[in-house]
Order: sequence, then structure tokens, then C-alpha cells
Amino acid sequence: MTPAARAAREWALRCSQAAGQGHLPSSFSIVELVLSAYAVMRHDPAAPQWPERDLFVLSKGHAALGYYCVLAQLGYFPPAAVERLGAHRSTFGCHPDRFKVPGVEASCGSLGHGIGIAAGMALALQLQGSGRRVFTLIGDGEANEGSVWEAVMVAADQRLSNLTILYDHNRSQARCLQIPNPAERFAAFGCATADVDGHDEDAIVAALMAPSDTVKVVVGRTVKGYGCRSLEDNFFEWHRKSPSPDICAELVSELHAKTI
Amino acid sequence: MRKQFRDTVTELAEADERVVLVFGDISVFLFETFTRRFPGRFLNLGICENTLVSVAAGLASQGFIPFVHTIAPFVTERCLEQIKLDVGYNGFPINIVTCGATYDYAWDGPTHQAIADMGALRLLPGVEIVQPGTREETDQLLRARYASGTPTYFRLSDHPHGASLPVEFGRGQVVRDVGGPVTVVTAGPILANVLPAVETLPVNVLYYSTLKPFDAVLLSRYAHTRLVVVHDATGLVEQVCEHAAGPVTRLGLPDRFVSCYGTIQDVRRDIGLDVEHIRRTVVDVLSSLPGVPARIKVA
Repeated sequence: MTPAARAAREWALRCSQAAGQGHLPSSFSIVELVLSAYAVMRHDPAAPQWPERDLFVLSKGHAALGYYCVLAQLGYFPPAAVERLGAHRSTFGCHPDRFKVPGVEASCGSLGHGIGIAAGMALALQLQGSGRRVFTLIGDGEANEGSVWEAVMVAADQRLSNLTILYDHNRSQARCLQIPNPAERFAAFGCATADVDGHDEDAIVAALMAPSDTVKVVVGRTVKGYGCRSLEDNFFEWHRKSPSPDICAELVSELHAKTI
Repeated sequence: MRKQFRDTVTELAEADERVVLVFGDISVFLFETFTRRFPGRFLNLGICENTLVSVAAGLASQGFIPFVHTIAPFVTERCLEQIKLDVGYNGFPINIVTCGATYDYAWDGPTHQAIADMGALRLLPGVEIVQPGTREETDQLLRARYASGTPTYFRLSDHPHGASLPVEFGRGQVVRDVGGPVTVVTAGPILANVLPAVETLPVNVLYYSTLKPFDAVLLSRYAHTRLVVVHDATGLVEQVCEHAAGPVTRLGLPDRFVSCYGTIQDVRRDIGLDVEHIRRTVVDVLSSLPGVPARIKVA
């Protein structure tokens, strides 16, 4: 785990404890996917509206806490600001709002929406002949939504080579509608696909950098609650639970004990 | 009205390069010329209304002015949440232009009837709702609001009312003011049945081509009269009831699915929105009012 990934997770724990809010397991599974996307994106934390920036859409909006903590590591805002997660009149809701949070391009929360907006953004940039790119992060649970597959079909049909879909394969649907072979399915829908360890930033970045003449899907095999043994082992219990100060300290210790 | 949409949007596209069309594989033949003239700006994405709206929102986010077009129920009732969130909450304004208003495709049955579209969209913050009644109104209202910076729903029909009215976005029209004790409030194509129904009766007629924002000022000028809303759709009666001071008589859609097939006129007759039934209802309301002399009740 890179220092930035560890720091983002530690802040997610502290902010969740302070706010009593946040989806920790899914916030933890996305950290390396988001960090890797921003590693290849053109963006400027000091100028979030820079006209030449690439765009990132967190379609699985409920992982906002993890996303905020990564943006904070990148310098978009101080990480302690996120301690007011979900508080009255806070900038940081439990789902991201593009009018409030620097760096957020689309407000998402209901699943299966952001990917369609991202496809429209990519189509717009393609029509404009722009070299800017669009990245969107969806979840395997989100892929239960039919609108995800509509958007993927349209994106592939329009050959949106400037669109990359990061797929957080954290097996959140183990108890209901599973998609066991996502890369095969996306390939069948006409996408270029890669299947990588979703916590290996080098592997994710390599997949993101690979050239493609159509929409690209990077399936990241991830673990809910990655980095804290207690969260990994009991992610259903922790789905939307926040730690007490004592438990938070234990989870932070677990996070630092993780040697990978 | 659909042909007018084509003609108007072609002119708009000529002058404004932000205009793009996002179609759900409907009216494609009708837009053949547009396709040839602006090939990159005619996006027939497929039969996927949720995605049409989401993609249009994404196009709007980058400065385009999208017109999403397909049959009314599919791109309103089916994808209400995409309109609510991707367009409304995100502030990515698009135009939605539909065909197949209420019972236009009566022969197709309830699957092809738009009944909740305007009533539901009215509840979404910031969404403008326009229901033109003729080609001229369609042209005027499209030009007025296509680049309004807010989402606008243009609900077109194949059955224009034929009257020539100087409509203006956001304003109701006084079509008839005889100083009568009853005022019929209506919107869109059904005006075609309202006008002959109230002929010779002491009844005023107000006509709305914009349901939202609603011209409540005009309505308030008739607050002293008894209001009768005649509308073959949802949305208008709710607006009137929210702004009316007194009782409102409603002549509108029944609380059941209408599967009698036939033509729009057959359906209107079956549900009491034909000329004779509208007239009978208005006469009943007139008769119920105290102080209205019998001789003017049924002139």
C-alpha cells in the first residue's frame, strides 16, 4: 500500500468516526483505483475548473468518503474538512455534490447514473475534437442496474476511446445478484478490457495507459474494507457503520500493521 | 407539430452550433435532411431512454444544447429519475421534445399513452413544461426556451387545435372573456374541443401553453368566477388548484387505464372530453351557481 493510499484510508477512518457517517468498506475498496486514475489524468488541484482538465465521475456515489479522502491527499482541500461529512450545511455530503466539492464533476448517488453522464461528457469531448478524457468509477453492485449496460452499449457503439470505466469488483453482491465474469461481459459489449489487482497502483496505471481505440474498462479486483482486517472480515456489518474512538484507534493500528 | 420541431430545430442548428439532437430511434426518417446537413450533430443513440437523458446531460455539461426526442411516455415516465438527477439536480440543462401526447396513439393502448408526464415533471425543481397547441406555438416556444439554461419539456401532439393565439412563454392567454360567472381553464390541443363546447355560453376561456412556470397572475384575475379545468393530461389542474381561491371543477383523465383503442376522438368521447360532454359539464356548473338567470345558463 502506498503512503497516499494509507493516508487516505486513515483519514476516512478518522472522518467517519468524527462524523458518525460514511460507507467505509466501499470507500476502502476504491482508493487505489481513484489514485491511479488521477495519476494518469490531467488535473490541477489548485485550479479544479482548469478548462483542459480530464474529468472524473464517481458513479458509485456512496463511496464518497473514500473519494474525498483521496482528493484531499491530492491537494484539493485539507483532509480535516471531511470530518464534517454529512453534517448540516457541510460541503461534504455522504454522496458528492458537484456544486459544493472542488474536483467533483457530477453529483451521483442513485446507482447507474454517473456512467451515462460520463458517456455523454466523453461524446461531447469527442464531438469537439478535444483530447480531454473522461474516467468513471462504477461498482459491481451498481452493475446490477440496467442503465449501466445501456450506457456501456452506447459508449462502445460510439467508440468512445476517450472514456475509461473503472470497475470496482469488490464482490459486494455476494449475497444476491453477482456478476462473476465482468471483464468477459464488458468485452462482449464491445469494450477493451483489462482485469487487474485493484489494489496494485502500478498494475492499474499500466492498464490505464494501454492504448485503446474504443471505450476501455479496467476491472479492479478489490476487497471491501481493504487494509483493515476487521473491515475485510465483516464488511456487511460495517456497510454503513462508523467506529467509536476506541475502535477507530484499533482500525488505524490494523491499517498500519498491513505490510503490503 | 413534429414537422415544425424539425423545421425549427434545423434553423436553430444552422445558427447555433451548440445544438445537437439525441434521438431514441424515432422520427429518424423525418430528420433525414438534418442528418445529411449536420451529420455529427444527429445522434440516434438507440432505444435506451435512460441513457438518452444521461448522455444528453453529459453533453450539456460540456456546453452543448441537446434536444432529446422520442415518444412521450418512454422519455418521461420511464426515466423520471434521470431527468430528476442527471439533468435537474446536476444542473445540466437539456430540452426534451416528445411526440405521442396522451391519447395521440390511442390505437396502441396504455403502453403508448403519456398520462403522468407533465404531472410528474411539474414536481421536479426547475423543470419548465411547455405544451404547444399548434405548429406556430411550437415554433415560437422552441425558439424562446431552447437555450434557457434550465431543463425544458416540450410536449408535442399530432392534433393541433387550429386556433391562432399570440402565445408567450410563461404567460396564459385570455381566449374568451364575456364577463361570465364561469371560467374554463385549458391547455394544449384540447382547446379544439373547448371552444365549440362553450359557444353561446356565458363562459370565459383561459389557455395555457406553458404549464410551468405557471401564470398565476392571469388566473387570479378570474378568482371571482367558478373555475372549470378541462385538460386531457396531468399538470394543469394541479397548478390551478394550488393557486385557486375557490372550488375547482375538474374534467380530465380518468383514474383508470384507457384501453378502448380507436382514435384520439374515440377516447375523448369515452372519457368525457368530447365537445358534448364538456358543454354538459359547463352547463351543470353554470346551473349550480346562485344568481345566474336560467335564460343565460343555456342560451
